[in-house]
Amino acid sequence: MPPADGTEPQSGGTAVLTVEGVAVRFGGVAALSDANLIVREGTVTGLIGPNGAGKTTLFNVISGLQTPDRGSVHLYDADITRMKPHRRARLGLARTFQRLELFGTLSAGENVQVGLESSVKWWQWRHVKRAFPWVKKGVDSKDGVPIGEPTGPGSVAVATSDRILEGVGLGGMAADQASAMPTGLARMVELARALAMAPKVLLLDEPGSGLDDAESQTLGELLTTLARGGMGVLLVEHDMELVMRICDYIYVLDFGDVIAAGTPEEIRKDPMVQAAYLGAVTEEEAARADGSSGSDGSSAYAVDPTTRHLPEDPPDGTTEAAQA
Amino acid sequence: MSNFLQFTVFGIMLGAGYAIAATGLVVTYTTSGVFNFAQGAVGMIAAFGYWELVSAHHQPTLVALLIVLILGASIAGAFVERVLMRRLHGASAERPVMVTLGLMVILTGMATVIWSPTVQRSVNPQINGQFRLVGINIQNQYVLIIGVAIAVAIGLRVLFYGSRTGFALRAVVDDPELLAMSGVSPNRMSQYGWILGFFMAALSGVLLAPTQTTGISIESFTLLVVSGYAAAIVGRLKNIPVTFLAAIAIGLAENYILNYIEPHLSSQLQTDVTSALPMVFLFIALVTLPSVRLRAVGRLTSMRAPRVASGRESLIASGVFMVIAVVVGLVFANDEVKGTTLLTLGGMVMCLAIVGLSLVLLTGYSGQVSLCQFSFMGIGAFVMGKVAGGGSVLGLLAAVAVCAALGALVALPTIRLSDLYLALATFAFADAVANGFFADGRIYGSGGLQIGRIVVPGLSFGGDTAEFLLVTVFFVLAALMVLAIRRSLFGRRLVAVNDSPAAYATVGLDIGFTKVAVFAIAAGMAGLAGALYGTVQGIVGTTDFDIFPGIIFVLFVTIWSIRTVSGAFLAALTYVVLNQLWPSSIGIFAGIGIILIGRAANGILGIEAVHVRLPWVRGGPPSAAPAAAYADAPVGGEVSRAAS
Repeated sequence: MPPADGTEPQSGGTAVLTVEGVAVRFGGVAALSDANLIVREGTVTGLIGPNGAGKTTLFNVISGLQTPDRGSVHLYDADITRMKPHRRARLGLARTFQRLELFGTLSAGENVQVGLESSVKWWQWRHVKRAFPWVKKGVDSKDGVPIGEPTGPGSVAVATSDRILEGVGLGGMAADQASAMPTGLARMVELARALAMAPKVLLLDEPGSGLDDAESQTLGELLTTLARGGMGVLLVEHDMELVMRICDYIYVLDFGDVIAAGTPEEIRKDPMVQAAYLGAVTEEEAARADGSSGSDGSSAYAVDPTTRHLPEDPPDGTTEAAQA
Repeated sequence: MSNFLQFTVFGIMLGAGYAIAATGLVVTYTTSGVFNFAQGAVGMIAAFGYWELVSAHHQPTLVALLIVLILGASIAGAFVERVLMRRLHGASAERPVMVTLGLMVILTGMATVIWSPTVQRSVNPQINGQFRLVGINIQNQYVLIIGVAIAVAIGLRVLFYGSRTGFALRAVVDDPELLAMSGVSPNRMSQYGWILGFFMAALSGVLLAPTQTTGISIESFTLLVVSGYAAAIVGRLKNIPVTFLAAIAIGLAENYILNYIEPHLSSQLQTDVTSALPMVFLFIALVTLPSVRLRAVGRLTSMRAPRVASGRESLIASGVFMVIAVVVGLVFANDEVKGTTLLTLGGMVMCLAIVGLSLVLLTGYSGQVSLCQFSFMGIGAFVMGKVAGGGSVLGLLAAVAVCAALGALVALPTIRLSDLYLALATFAFADAVANGFFADGRIYGSGGLQIGRIVVPGLSFGGDTAEFLLVTVFFVLAALMVLAIRRSLFGRRLVAVNDSPAAYATVGLDIGFTKVAVFAIAAGMAGLAGALYGTVQGIVGTTDFDIFPGIIFVLFVTIWSIRTVSGAFLAALTYVVLNQLWPSSIGIFAGIGIILIGRAANGILGIEAVHVRLPWVRGGPPSAAPAAAYADAPVGGEVSRAAS
């Protein structure tokens, strides 16, 4: 496991996902310069930043849709930097997309079933024979995977996907075609599909987009529950209220760099974060903000306003955390 | 040495002709996102039109060129964009491919009607004469072709990278909405692209026509551009200079092989090698291409998939179908149509319907386009005829196995790439197999390959009725299998990989494996159909599994519905009936049909008005809640449904 550069959260379980020094260039444009982050088991980690900061690119690097020019991605101790997307997913990495990537001609239930059955080898006879109308459906006795016709009454696959859909607030909507659903509900189908894979780490790219306040509240509770169950959640979200409420730790990306990292409280007060979101601040303003946040005159979140990089040395305890 | 120089000059000339056609493909693809399979046919029509004006009506060369290139090709390009392509925005990915194929078969069909294929037509060079340089004779026509190709390449490079129109032409596919916001009409840019593409196709046609020593022929000229496909692929369908250089390299390689290697081969092998060369080049180009990066494009299909029959409904429908088949078999046992027994024609319908089912699986469910299912049919028939003396169950099994293995081999080089490349690879494979394998007199023999009726101990299929019912049973079993696959987890995966490859990969599923697997299964089914077709006909010949009939059949399946079992059956029925009644016009019917069906994803059977509620079908569609049930706008758009 490579050491992180001092941006790792101070508390939480084992690091399930570690991104170190990732850089991606598209032609002459640096989408990511030196991205570092850690997601720990049992925590919700936020990844925020203005549009174009590189959040989705970082998600693509983590999930394997984009190969980085340099840097590494580890899932636990496994280096997955050059691994194909489907192999990463099999190791326990699931994601949703900023622009919906649903199986649009399938129903919501079938979308979830595809995730649910992703580890099943369809060409094995015990699975093939289930396609025949005269073979009973149910749970496979050997690997316990439920399989069956999507329309088959009593099919365990249907029951399981129904339960997952109910868990994300889509109870009774399993038969609805995914592409016919409103955006907010469709996002929940994506989330349900990802959850059906029983992932170790879940990457969510703006899951709150298109949700109303009540739905957003429910989403927050769901993500917190998932994290408390041991899952590592990495959340990209523009709904700051949601991020500040549920995240244990937050990274702020701007122009491809992590410009700040800390608890929600720390991030809220960070002058560079404010500058990134609200516009440029002068060095005096940054210094004033710095001065107001620490007795030694340095920022609690230790951002160098001139370089917009995190310092080499983390505030405390990071080496131990990185080795954990 | 002088021979080498002579071959080199001819190779460069040939490559220059390919370059003009290939850059036309690149221009059309860059500006519309559509690969124009009709590019060769446009060149063929231009060549024949030019011959008609100059040789038949004695018009001056310049006048003929102006009429063919400016009035003919350019206006046709604008017309095709406006009438055929523009309304395909938002259609399923395979539809533009089908429409350009439809255009191709319409043009070849029209050419066959207008210009009898039995008449030999030679085209005079645009510039007569020759000159001598470093000991070799160089035709002025060669210099003209090379010069025009260079001028076209330079001109396009300047246009695309040195003008505002060029920037707009390049931007139109990436983001038409953004282009529109900057005050440029995306439709107009696409139209310019089609005009340029047609112009260059016609230009290559009229320039290469005089170099055809045996005269111009409809089929060979239409397929002449396949070598241009390889060049366009090396240029990744966007890089004009690389495409140009690749075309020259292919022209040279082709000419060196023809002149240095082929003379050492037997005369039959020479024909095979010549026919296979474009495919070899294409496959080399495909293998050398870097992988296409998997992208999350946020494309959400708006299509409502046809309802999938449940297991119970499938079994009942199969039973009803078999009863009807038995009645037909008994009632029409002695009837004939144009010298062929009705049951033989019925058997052919069933065999072709199995091929249609393979397309339902491959294209309808997983979104991959195959233009070589007839090639697998032909190979299946060949294996059937050669294994165990023909007419054995072992032959059937061997036909399935060989075709499935070949299918996997064809699909393998393209799985790293987008689905378009698979369509191209299958097109080239169909061309090579038809002209390099089936056309070889040793494969089917001069009088065709005899294939006996299937022999099973205790059962006789010697009679037409028994044979008809046997192939009907195979069709019914294949239909049950396709529906069972669709209801299974593999079926969900096929639909899923088509809907969103990025999501498919990120739920832990291997895109490449799934695509190769379904292609192999579909090829095996086509092989089975070919083997059965052989037993129905009793004999198969060199032209039974040609590339054009194969493409026409794909179009009929798409017209009826490439996503349903009933669509496959009706396509087979339509094909056999039209082929029996109007064989020379069948391509025109198919082409017009695919144009009329336009962007309707589920074909004729997707149109609500033609739905028939079968008595044994329970309940409504699986997607019980229509889009209107939501107060909010759905993420997808139009909905349609067809009974399966």
